[in-house]
Amino acid sequence: MNLKRDILSIGLFCLVYSILALFIDNSYYLLLMTIVPIWAMMGMSWNLFSGYSGLISFGHAAFFGLGAYLVAILLGNWNVSPWIGVPLAGVLGGLAAALVGIPTFRLRGHYFALAMLAYPLALLYIFEWLGFQELALPMKREAPALFMQFENQHIYVFIALFLLAMAMVVTSFLSRSRFGMSLLALKQDEEAAEASGINTHMWKVFAIAISGALAGVAGGFYAVVLLVVTPLAVFGMLVSAQALVIAMFGGVGTLWGPIIGAFILVPLSEILYAQYAADFPGIQGVIYGVAIMTVILVAPEGVIWKIKTWLRPKQARVIGATTCQLNTLVNEDILAVEQSDIKTNDILKVENLSKAFGGLKAIQNLSFSVQQGELLGVIGPNGAGKTTLFNLLNGFQTPDAGTVTFRDKPLKKLRPNKICHLGVARTFQVPKPFTRISVFDNVVVGAYVRSRTNHEASELASAALKLVGLQALANSPAANLTNRELRLMELARALASKPALILVDEILAGLDSAATKAVVHALKKVTTLGITIVIIEHSMKTMVELVDRFIVLDHGALLTEGSPENIVKDEKVIEAYLGKKWLEANAEVK
Amino acid sequence: MLKQSGIFSIISATLLTLFFSLISLEISAQAILEPVKVGLIVPLSGPWARPGQVMRVAAELAVEEINEQGGIAALGGAPLELVVYDAGDNVERAKNAAQRMVAEEPDLIGAVGAYLSSFTLAVTEVTERAEVPILTLSYSDLITSRGFNYVFQTSASGAVQSSGALPVLMDMAESASGHRPETIAIIMDNTAASEAFVKPFFETNILEEYGLELVVNEVFTPPLANATSLIQHIRAEQPDLLLLLPTAISDTKLLLEKMNEFRLGRGLIPTISNGAAMGDPDLLSNMPGFLLEGVMSIVANWSTRGQEELIDKFKDVSGEPWMTQHPLSTYGHVWLFKQALEQSSSRDSTVIANTLRNMTLSDGAVNYFPGNSLSFDQTGKRIDAGILVIQWQEGEPITVFPEREALRSILWPGE
Repeated sequence: MNLKRDILSIGLFCLVYSILALFIDNSYYLLLMTIVPIWAMMGMSWNLFSGYSGLISFGHAAFFGLGAYLVAILLGNWNVSPWIGVPLAGVLGGLAAALVGIPTFRLRGHYFALAMLAYPLALLYIFEWLGFQELALPMKREAPALFMQFENQHIYVFIALFLLAMAMVVTSFLSRSRFGMSLLALKQDEEAAEASGINTHMWKVFAIAISGALAGVAGGFYAVVLLVVTPLAVFGMLVSAQALVIAMFGGVGTLWGPIIGAFILVPLSEILYAQYAADFPGIQGVIYGVAIMTVILVAPEGVIWKIKTWLRPKQARVIGATTCQLNTLVNEDILAVEQSDIKTNDILKVENLSKAFGGLKAIQNLSFSVQQGELLGVIGPNGAGKTTLFNLLNGFQTPDAGTVTFRDKPLKKLRPNKICHLGVARTFQVPKPFTRISVFDNVVVGAYVRSRTNHEASELASAALKLVGLQALANSPAANLTNRELRLMELARALASKPALILVDEILAGLDSAATKAVVHALKKVTTLGITIVIIEHSMKTMVELVDRFIVLDHGALLTEGSPENIVKDEKVIEAYLGKKWLEANAEVK
Repeated sequence: MLKQSGIFSIISATLLTLFFSLISLEISAQAILEPVKVGLIVPLSGPWARPGQVMRVAAELAVEEINEQGGIAALGGAPLELVVYDAGDNVERAKNAAQRMVAEEPDLIGAVGAYLSSFTLAVTEVTERAEVPILTLSYSDLITSRGFNYVFQTSASGAVQSSGALPVLMDMAESASGHRPETIAIIMDNTAASEAFVKPFFETNILEEYGLELVVNEVFTPPLANATSLIQHIRAEQPDLLLLLPTAISDTKLLLEKMNEFRLGRGLIPTISNGAAMGDPDLLSNMPGFLLEGVMSIVANWSTRGQEELIDKFKDVSGEPWMTQHPLSTYGHVWLFKQALEQSSSRDSTVIANTLRNMTLSDGAVNYFPGNSLSFDQTGKRIDAGILVIQWQEGEPITVFPEREALRSILWPGE
């Protein structure tokens, strides 16, 4: 429904723009009307990757430049028309981006941004070294239209507009699909996204490839319009910066943001040049800079968000939206573990597991197993290695020694999303919601791993929300939730992946008694579906009532295990928690 | 009655005729005196603003002089008007500016520009389609190899400069020192301009032809951190000629300082560079003048004999210490347009372009370019474009070769 509305507004926008162009005869304005959509497309390319994934790229000029050079070299050396060259530029941009992405995604944050900066700089020197300081697209006096050369400048405007419209439809479609939601999720919390079964690496490579393809097409057509290609003009810092500024100015992570950015900034800067540059050289740069700074200060998330806040000040903001729909009538049983999948009684086996951080032995030679359908409590004093154990179990960390077997399958060196795919979900000690998207979409992201279609994802997410009792809040942004609701939403997100085992990390921390009751109720409902739970918790009172069995960790090693009744009486456990002195003092009293 | 009315009608007819002829005279006078527009499209902002500004001063000076001398006589004394466009700091801006120029000024007869060859390439893509002739000092060979009809290059092209350099150097050395050099050393950075300049040395056997032995061939990647080993190599080999081709001012400074330290400076080893950058006034704000003393450079244009009056005037107006290639050529370009206007008596840009293509000048604007005559081939390349050699003497780069255009004689070591 939303996609249709987008396409309709894109169509309307193109229609208005075309009509406007038809009324203009001034060749300079027509040139501007051609260049603005190219930069808008470049902004969209940047936005599709960086805006949605949150990984800042300073290197989009690399793909833009490769596209431009490909078109120029094909036409200049082999007489290949840009009609073929521009689409090929898209292919080259996409391939180059994927190639660049695969090694660079090992880096995070600033390191990633800096590494991306290096690619266009390197290409700039390589193209200079290759002797491509200046390339001119040869003028075709015979059959110019075959080579994308037109006397009538309106045609350039239409081509630019067509390419932009394509980029918009692609962005609109992708942002509403699994792709967009997965990227938005990993932008907000990469760990939570991985644990929810999203193959973050694959999505990032896919995102940068599509983004690179758009940049390549933009660059290819830029060469056609400019007719001259120099390394500085297409690989220069300004190109990457322009893409970034346009997207940030307009609004990051939105469809119309880059359009607004390009349609304001490019003509503004041109007009300033035209009006003042000859009389006050450089003044245009100052005014342009001040304008950008003002907007960043007043509307740090971009113009489009500011406008949205003005129009609907009270409404909480949710970015993106899946095409998934909440189904209130869904049956919770669809989350139940399939009997056919139960092949062994020990669902999880941990043998001789060890992990050290430098000199600190977080987990030492730990062995235990978890029974199918059981609710196992993991306790131990602070620093006993409980959360590290969970991180080893779901793949955030790799063990130094030992094995973990889930349903007879070793989990050696599997990434978290793969482990999630096998049926191990988790929640976090500190909740990791995707704050900017709705509660329902948060849970939908969790469902992706177990669903092929949006319908399936909707059903799973609806069932999970129903089970934890958050259906009423489905459409509010995750950022507005209370602590209790957040815990329940995380549980629902884990459930939506239809797991056989959920690792629950201190889900009751900081909850009052009423909230605790609600969460415990939900956990008990989960076990009725045949789902196994391993839970870390400090509140012994609740735990004793909840769990079937305990394992107790101290200094990363297994202290003891047993039923709740036995554990609370165990002297070793009391000593570990309260210390020898307490034990001795109490013994004297006795 | 009849008679009276006859006289009356004759008088009124005469008055009417007079009236209308006055009006039409007025109109035609206006038409004739409507200024002839020439465009100037150079970078006026960004990193290349300074040369652009200097070129603007030169163009304005030429326009002022032409108008003082009565404008374009062939067009009834119509004055010239310079319309200025900022080519900005990148190719896209340059192209936009050119498009704006042809859109805003449909009656432009021609334009001058655009300093950087990449800008000139982009600008001429627009002016070619708008059929507006462009005069340029940019010397990239690509400019005139695209089959364009509306671009005219007055500088010796890059290929001509590099292939023509060696014969000039040999002649110059021989006439200055009395014997022909036998050894040559090259120290260069790996930028495009430097690579292009030495290309014929390595791709043809031109060095052998002139009996030159290449004793040092050092290529460095700018920025240079230390010039010691490079200059030591020079001191060890003591070549008869040193071709020094840095691009960045910092590298130039480092190399010259080291040469001075090793007592090879001040022209002790004849040192030749390429391009107008080696004669730029900016150099003096980066290094003491004595370091540059004796250094030579091959350029496409520079102030020569007979231009003393112009140079004084230019220095006065611009505040520049001397007149380099860029303002001089720009000044000459405006005069070249004036001559084409006079010769064609037309305001039609296509006619002006044709006139430029077919004329051979031996006076007037030719005085502002090296050589005795000025004409273009079909591609717009100047026929027999010459090169000049400048040398730093007493803190100023001065034309020293060829002798008939030189302002001073060359200083050669060992003299």
